[in-house]
Amino acid sequence: MAPQLFIELVYFIVISIVIGFIVIFYILTQRGKSSKADPDNESVPKKGMEKGEKRWLIFLFIVVVVGNILMLSPLLPSSRYVFWLDEEPKMTITIEVRNYEFVFPENPITIPAGVPVEFIVISHDLVYGFGVFNKDGLMIFQMQVVPKPYLNSIVWVFTEPGYYDIRSTEYSGPKHPYLYFPNTIRVVGG
Amino acid sequence: MNEEERKVLSIRFVVVSLIFLALAGIEGILMRFRLMNTLVEFFDEKHFYSMMTAHPFVGVYGWAYMAVMGAFYFLVPHILKKEIYSKKAAYVSFWLMLVGLIILWSTTFLTHYAPLYTLYWPIPVAYEIIGWNLYSILTFGLGVALILGGVLVFFGNMFATIFLPPRSTDGGSPSPWYVVKELLITAFNLDKIRARISKMPQYTSKAFNYPVFVVAVFRGCVDTTLNAFVIGGVGILLIIFAIGNLIPTLSIPYTIVDPLIYKNVFWWGLDLIADGNVLIFTAGTWYLLVPLLLNRTLYGENVVRTVILADLVVSLFVWNHHMLADTPQPLFLQIQGQLFTWGELITMGLTMFAVLATIWFARPVKYTMPLKFILASITGYAVGGLAGIIQANYASNRFFHNTQWVIGIHGHIQLLVGLSSTLFAAIYALFPLLTGRSLNEKLGNIHLLLWSIGGLIMGLSMGMAGTLGMLRRTLYPMGLGPFEPYMIVATLGALMMATAFIAFIVNILKTIKLTNLLKILF
Repeated sequence: MAPQLFIELVYFIVISIVIGFIVIFYILTQRGKSSKADPDNESVPKKGMEKGEKRWLIFLFIVVVVGNILMLSPLLPSSRYVFWLDEEPKMTITIEVRNYEFVFPENPITIPAGVPVEFIVISHDLVYGFGVFNKDGLMIFQMQVVPKPYLNSIVWVFTEPGYYDIRSTEYSGPKHPYLYFPNTIRVVGG
Repeated sequence: MNEEERKVLSIRFVVVSLIFLALAGIEGILMRFRLMNTLVEFFDEKHFYSMMTAHPFVGVYGWAYMAVMGAFYFLVPHILKKEIYSKKAAYVSFWLMLVGLIILWSTTFLTHYAPLYTLYWPIPVAYEIIGWNLYSILTFGLGVALILGGVLVFFGNMFATIFLPPRSTDGGSPSPWYVVKELLITAFNLDKIRARISKMPQYTSKAFNYPVFVVAVFRGCVDTTLNAFVIGGVGILLIIFAIGNLIPTLSIPYTIVDPLIYKNVFWWGLDLIADGNVLIFTAGTWYLLVPLLLNRTLYGENVVRTVILADLVVSLFVWNHHMLADTPQPLFLQIQGQLFTWGELITMGLTMFAVLATIWFARPVKYTMPLKFILASITGYAVGGLAGIIQANYASNRFFHNTQWVIGIHGHIQLLVGLSSTLFAAIYALFPLLTGRSLNEKLGNIHLLLWSIGGLIMGLSMGMAGTLGMLRRTLYPMGLGPFEPYMIVATLGALMMATAFIAFIVNILKTIKLTNLLKILF
């Protein structure tokens, strides 16, 4: 399963719980008086935190710590290749962009599967995007292309052989939708 | 300015804001149809993108800002039992916003100038490559500068209303620096820090002298003022560039601005809208309305003040979550952006907790329209906010950035179901105070359900298309392929919202006849 589809699944489970909670909350709060006294409906508000509030804060804090650990761990390919990869890129592919034209070193660009490859994209004029998509349209990775003097580079390891499309993922003027280059990458082996 | 004049001013702001919401909605629906490759003969790519440029300006500054201004011009003096500091400035802010928005919208409509709201350098000024007209750069820049000028006048007036004593008739007027000093001390609790350093026992910070709603107003205003300087500054930059290139001897190259530094400054300023207007003002409105509607004190009021301060501080360091896909950006800034953005889960989570706890302890609750809209708004913020946290990580941003996920679930659900529902709650609550009549509840319920369910359907289906790889800001001239069913469902959601809005307008016009409304306005 692609990582974004797994993340989406987890997200939909969480928001279903949230929406369900709000509906139940709406129904319950219309009913009778709670036996518990309102801890905060006093003329002078308390200085410290309520017990429930403290527990909620601790829960949120745990979510933040766990979330960040997961997102920076090698679980997701994007952080794996940035923070955890020991190997140097075996191949560097430089792509130049000028006046809505992407100049590729070869077409298709042939890449071996399972090895780190570095893409360097240089724009001579505008902001563009560089996104690689599989044949189902699913985004594999992308980056912004900030114009010169900046070099935009990303290292990736393709695991699935086959053809991939390149599309500009950032608006660069009304010609932007036409910056689509099908079958520009061919991954072999693996 | 007496209370009657303030009421009229607030009604003017709200009426204009609703017109802009309608305009943004019409644009949204038209773009939705064009995205599905219908209406192709009516508008080409340039026209489509010019509409996409106007849409967020009209939606955010025309609808959200003007509605907030209308509400605050009435509420802040009402709660502080003071007059608005400057009547003239209040009218100036109204006209600057209105004229600025009309100029900006007309520029995009008539000339098809389309740099998008992101204004990534050098797209707004690359007239030779993209084919923009230099006069359209000039008028667009003027529109942006006027709008943000209006915002600055409004916030200046708000700060003066909050921090200055009422204007004396003897001509003595404190300097603007006094207001700035008071603002900075109170907004950031600097007096408390000073008291701690000098070991003053039992010192209560100045912020505690103000109702919690007013604390949210001046802390949110810090963010939105900084935003106005940055985005207004971009407007002025466009004016300078256009004039510079209209005069042949001057010719300014766009390479004089560094695109990455510009992008950092731009996003630092732009994201402050999200925190100031969208999060802190919303929290302040909940803190005001929920206790008022339930006749209770706010749960954990003192903690809530600290949460607003934390939100203000966090908001100054989150801009990098917009630049996680910019590989020349230093990695430590990317990680810092990720960590601080997670901080918003804590501040917003505590805000929601305080509001829900206040409602919980008020059982049995009779849900009035404003309270129902606040519950819908909390749902919108939870759904949209969680999506925002997910996409704002260095790793996940690699496949979420610039997809429909970002603009659908995070952008539109947060703005339409989250922020807009709070603004509707404020309008439903203020309507009897401003006009002496209450809005019909049955029509209100239709508005609430169609708006929030339609918004969720639209945003979630856009998000699902985004996960499958559908980009935002992109037309698919060769066909939408696997994304098409999601876009059809999103259009149905959008049409539900349009129906909800019509029900709301019918409700207003049924309650207060058009002729009466016109009498109030003119």
